[in-house]
Amino acid sequence: MKHSIQNRLLYTTTAVLVLFLALTAWVLDRTFTAAVEDAAREQLTQVIYSLMGSVDEVEGRLVFNDDLFEPRLSQPESGLYAQVSTELGDLLWQSGSAVTTAVEIPQTNAEPGSFVFGETHDGRAQFHLSYMVIWEGVDTEQVTFAAATDQAPYDASINQFRRNLGLGLGAATLVFILAQLLALRWGLLPLRTMAEEVRELEAGERSALTATYPKELGGLAGNLDRFVAHEERSRTRYRNALEDLAHSLKTPLAVMRNALLDAQPDKTLVEEQLTRMQATVTHQLSKASAQGPVVVGKLVDINELVQRLTRALETAYLERGIVLELRLADKVHALGDERDFLEVLGNLLENAYKYTHSRVAVTTSMNAQTGIRVCIEDDGPGIPEAMREDVLNRGKRLDEIQNGQGIGLAVVTELVALYQGQLGIDESKFGGAAINLQLPR
Amino acid sequence: MRVLVVEDDQNLREQLAGHLKSDGYAVDTAEDGEEGLYYGREYEYDAAVVDLGLPKVDGIEVIKQLRQEQHSFPILVLTARGHWQDKVEGLEAGADDYLAKPFQMEELMARMNALIRRTAGYASPVLSQGDLQLDTAKKEVRVAGSSIELTAYEYKVLEYLMLNPDRVVSKSELTDHLYEQDFDRDSNVIEVFVGRLRKKINPVDFIRTVRGQGYRFVTEG
Repeated sequence: MKHSIQNRLLYTTTAVLVLFLALTAWVLDRTFTAAVEDAAREQLTQVIYSLMGSVDEVEGRLVFNDDLFEPRLSQPESGLYAQVSTELGDLLWQSGSAVTTAVEIPQTNAEPGSFVFGETHDGRAQFHLSYMVIWEGVDTEQVTFAAATDQAPYDASINQFRRNLGLGLGAATLVFILAQLLALRWGLLPLRTMAEEVRELEAGERSALTATYPKELGGLAGNLDRFVAHEERSRTRYRNALEDLAHSLKTPLAVMRNALLDAQPDKTLVEEQLTRMQATVTHQLSKASAQGPVVVGKLVDINELVQRLTRALETAYLERGIVLELRLADKVHALGDERDFLEVLGNLLENAYKYTHSRVAVTTSMNAQTGIRVCIEDDGPGIPEAMREDVLNRGKRLDEIQNGQGIGLAVVTELVALYQGQLGIDESKFGGAAINLQLPR
Repeated sequence: MRVLVVEDDQNLREQLAGHLKSDGYAVDTAEDGEEGLYYGREYEYDAAVVDLGLPKVDGIEVIKQLRQEQHSFPILVLTARGHWQDKVEGLEAGADDYLAKPFQMEELMARMNALIRRTAGYASPVLSQGDLQLDTAKKEVRVAGSSIELTAYEYKVLEYLMLNPDRVVSKSELTDHLYEQDFDRDSNVIEVFVGRLRKKINPVDFIRTVRGQGYRFVTEG
């Protein structure tokens, strides 16, 4: 089972969304954590600078002032500690908070004049910062100022941030997926509607798609409608032809059955009836199998059909030595069923070959306004003006078809009418008949 | 004239064979495309009638195959559907003429006659050579304008020779093309027919005996 369009869209967008949110969360988390660390470092830097500023030098010794700018350095468990030590690690001074809380800041070996930032996790998690100076004129020349702060408050704020971030992004995800579901349902609604209408078409509950479709589906809906209408017309034509066929075969059958009752059946009568039946069968079956203008058809190359048919007819009429002249315009294409056009052109060309003395000329042309024109001329006896209308109308009433004559033309007129084309008879410049066929583009 | 009929409907096949025989043709029949192909490859025919809708091998395919293998005897196709699509495809496959079912036997006989003549290079149904005229439609022979009475076999011999002019036709070729298969192939019989024929169409003398090989119909000039 293929995934539905809705699921395909849903899966892909959800996957992209999850990836995007995860990336966003990671970047925000990193940024916030870095900012917190920076804040801690900034605070410790301030402490060290203040400490250095409060030191006095008395006779080659450093004297520390316990009355500090930062009250937290004096409070036990305040979370902020400071100390000063020699290069050997001997403590010169410790803040009150460090003494009471028994915090020792790790000694780091740094170049003089540079800060070293770090964190420890054994025991109390802390950020610490050290700064070593060379204090001239003092016994112990290298002095390291260090400050540390507990990580707990910073961790708390990071955790708080992460909780908020999780909640925010989670809510955004939910809203997004919901919105997407709604958008999909709304977006795919015309498809559902169409599926439903097509189902009703199949079930025979409706005869056309009536809903208004967005422009992406409008073309498809229109095509479907034309397809259904075409199907309906073909079915009707087929049914009518079969009914006509059955109806018009019954009469000659009855006549023959009655004729057989005679001691000596009238052979001519039977023959007449057989001819009549043959004409009926040929005519009605051609009518039933005609496709008519197709909805989804390919373009039929009229020139190619003319060439195929004339080649075939030249073979069949070889001994007559008929000269063929083809004047074919470029790109004469008609939309429809190839067999229909073969039927029309085949019958018309065969007539030309049948009645001509020595030559047949076929001219095709294509015009944006008037459509396709095919002119078939011969130098046979032609058709007198007074009879032309009759010839074209022959076969409109089946009873008028005599001896199978004119069935071909009757089929042609019917097909041409089906394609909303026109058929005209004229006099050819060679003296024979000129049959003009016009088909809409 | 030996003709092959390939048609799957038994009634129609028998009717066709019957009419062709009574018209003077020697006839072989095949009931499907496979059998038709076999006969067409195995024997030399003067013409064939091939139905397009055949079991086993389609009629179009039979014609294509035979043409591909350089069998050039004329072929008349029968189409049941009568659509131009079928007619054109039949002719494009290599057939020489078409007839849509149902057809009149007279029409088919006329078409066969025309096809055979046309293949031999005659445009008119009346084959003429000097004072000798043979009307293939009426099966009539005239010498210098007056009608000559010929038996069916004498007529067949003359027609075959006239349709194959300027070429040595052996006695066995004559028996192959003129007689049903069960005919006793006694070459003396042919000699007798030809001898009588020559006497009857005297004074025209276009039939020459090529010793040990057969006969030749010589055209003027």
